[in-house]
Amino acid sequence: MTKYLIRRLIQAIPVVIGITIVTYAVMLSAPGGPVERFANNPKITLAQKEAFKKSWGLDQPIPIQYGRWVGLLNPDGQGLGQFLGPTGWPNILPTGISGATNGVLHGDLGFSLDSGESVARRIGNAALPTLILAGTALLLWISAAIVLGVLAAVKRYSFFDQAATVFSYIGFAMPTFWLGIMLILIFGVSLKWLPISGMVNARLSPAFGTDNYWVYFGQNPIPAILDIAQHLVMPVITLVVVNIAGDSRFVRASMLEALSQDYVRTARAKGLPGRTVTFRHALRNALLPVVTNIGLEIPFLFSGALVTESIFSWPGIGRLTIESIRVFDYTILMGVFLISSLLVVLANLLADVLYAVVDPRIKY
Amino acid sequence: MTEVISADAPRGAPPERDILLDVRNLKTYFKVLDGVVPAVDGVSFSLRRGQTLGIVGESGSGKSVTAMTIMRLLDIPPAQIDPASEVWFDGREILGLPMDQMRRIRGNEMAMIFQEPLTSLNPVFTVGDQIAEQVALHKKVGKKAAWDRAIESLTLVGIPNPERRVKQYPHEMSGGMRQRVMIAMALSCEPKLLIADEPTTALDVTIQAQILELLKTIQQRTDSALVLITHDLGVVAEMVDNVIVMYTGEVVEQGTVEEVLVEPRAPYTMGLLESIPSVEKRGGRLSAIKGVVPSPFNLPPACRFEPRCPYHWERCRTVPPELYLSGPSGRRARCHLHTPEGAGRWPAALEAHRRALATGRELPVHDATPGDA
Repeated sequence: MTKYLIRRLIQAIPVVIGITIVTYAVMLSAPGGPVERFANNPKITLAQKEAFKKSWGLDQPIPIQYGRWVGLLNPDGQGLGQFLGPTGWPNILPTGISGATNGVLHGDLGFSLDSGESVARRIGNAALPTLILAGTALLLWISAAIVLGVLAAVKRYSFFDQAATVFSYIGFAMPTFWLGIMLILIFGVSLKWLPISGMVNARLSPAFGTDNYWVYFGQNPIPAILDIAQHLVMPVITLVVVNIAGDSRFVRASMLEALSQDYVRTARAKGLPGRTVTFRHALRNALLPVVTNIGLEIPFLFSGALVTESIFSWPGIGRLTIESIRVFDYTILMGVFLISSLLVVLANLLADVLYAVVDPRIKY
Repeated sequence: MTEVISADAPRGAPPERDILLDVRNLKTYFKVLDGVVPAVDGVSFSLRRGQTLGIVGESGSGKSVTAMTIMRLLDIPPAQIDPASEVWFDGREILGLPMDQMRRIRGNEMAMIFQEPLTSLNPVFTVGDQIAEQVALHKKVGKKAAWDRAIESLTLVGIPNPERRVKQYPHEMSGGMRQRVMIAMALSCEPKLLIADEPTTALDVTIQAQILELLKTIQQRTDSALVLITHDLGVVAEMVDNVIVMYTGEVVEQGTVEEVLVEPRAPYTMGLLESIPSVEKRGGRLSAIKGVVPSPFNLPPACRFEPRCPYHWERCRTVPPELYLSGPSGRRARCHLHTPEGAGRWPAALEAHRRALATGRELPVHDATPGDA
């Protein structure tokens, strides 16, 4: 197992390098560029744009830009000297040896072209809200999908099964933005039961994530949590309704397959009660592929939901991404894409490991 | 040896005490989109304690469905059991038992071994788990005692190193080993009746012999009754006391194993025996029963074997044959040759059968109704 993990991690290295190159290439091939953010600002002259480009290093050839972003090249060096860090060791080595601090390899994702803050900080601030929203939604829809899928399979073709099928497909077919806006209109605007946007009530507490907020949170933890919970309801419902369909269908199919297996017949022939047959013998097998599926959904906890977060002004990664696209904030986008892809690679690995844990037939 | 195959107790009344299993006019249907399939169509037989019964027939003859109906393992619907059918087990009628009472019998007093040892064990639990689960359920013993019983069962079925094997998962074992585990599981609660549904079909020939030998010794040692379902006449010859032969959901012949295999009375059984290849008949074509099994949606009007039968005449197309007494004590065959009307034709049929056995040549089917296969 350890051997397998090490092998998989080593195999991940070229994948990650490939991801950085592709991410960079995709961003470059997108129309416009970092200075496009000034396109609608008549006060900025062409010369000033060129100066911005120069200060951001965008006047350099593309391989050099990439090398600096990754941390292979030292932006202060010249010629072959670019490969060396401040201490004279190759720039690519860890900061402790090379003295280099630039580039992804040294943990530097750059600064936001829009706000000037570090990318890591912007992403870090947005990560917790996304984790809260996506985590709650993921937990709810997976547990609901398992319950619905199993019940639908056990009572196949019953009224419950048919109803679950119909509602799954309605949820699946419903556009996220439409559902979100309908919820806002009904429960926020008309009934006024729930707050329509944001993560905290701005009249009662400081903005989420600020130092003041944590002071406030420390003093009033329970109202603060309830406040967030209130704001969570509608975006979570939106995500659950839209995502429950696929997973519950998946669980149902998997459960039906398990229930038709010979070992289920054996279990019944042993005289076991129906629930033991269903929930011990069939479910355990039916959940094997589901576990893998859940593993693959983990990156969602970081990358979040673009549309849902935007509709409900949830200050998470999804909204940060959409906003960064709008203002041509390339560095933030690069950071988000890079971390998301890394998580996908790790989630795949995790799914494989989980599979070996739950299925005794899998050995690495 | 006793020759009782039909107990002949009045309907609704228990059979005599010595009879462990008494199946009376069992009819199981499947309702499907195209209509109703009579998978088991009026099967009756009985089995004394400790006795062995073989049910022989080809795929689709209803032998497995008979077993599944007795175990009440069929899903209802699509399956339907005729309300007039009765199955008496150990003095109780079990088709009408509430499911929770039936569950207490299943795996405890009657156990079943299935055809596919590779898929019949749950892949995510150790074999010990799976046996101990059953013991703990029926014998109301603790985990430790159940586990000990599992090891004991594995020892009984000749699995070497049972203390180690009991902790293994099914995928760590060979097919023959897994079938031994299935047998150990079935025996773990010391059932009075063991139903083995083609227990050796999925195994290779050398393993088959071992498993059959094992079943035989264990059956003798534990004195449980055995119903052995198979399509293999060789297996039947070695293993059982009595035989019933099934065709399209009906019993076509019954008797002791010697009677049925040596002096078959139903043309279907005669055909089966003629089609066994042997070394003496080497070189010629393999002989077979002409035609195919009729579709359950389009059964012949009277005798269901008539279109394939070398001995048929008009009566076979108009009068459905019953299981006529064709010999001493419980010997029966579903064929008009054993009625006064057909008795005149029997010597010639027997002669033809003997010739076919000797030469290995198929008997022709004259003017069989075309196209009703």
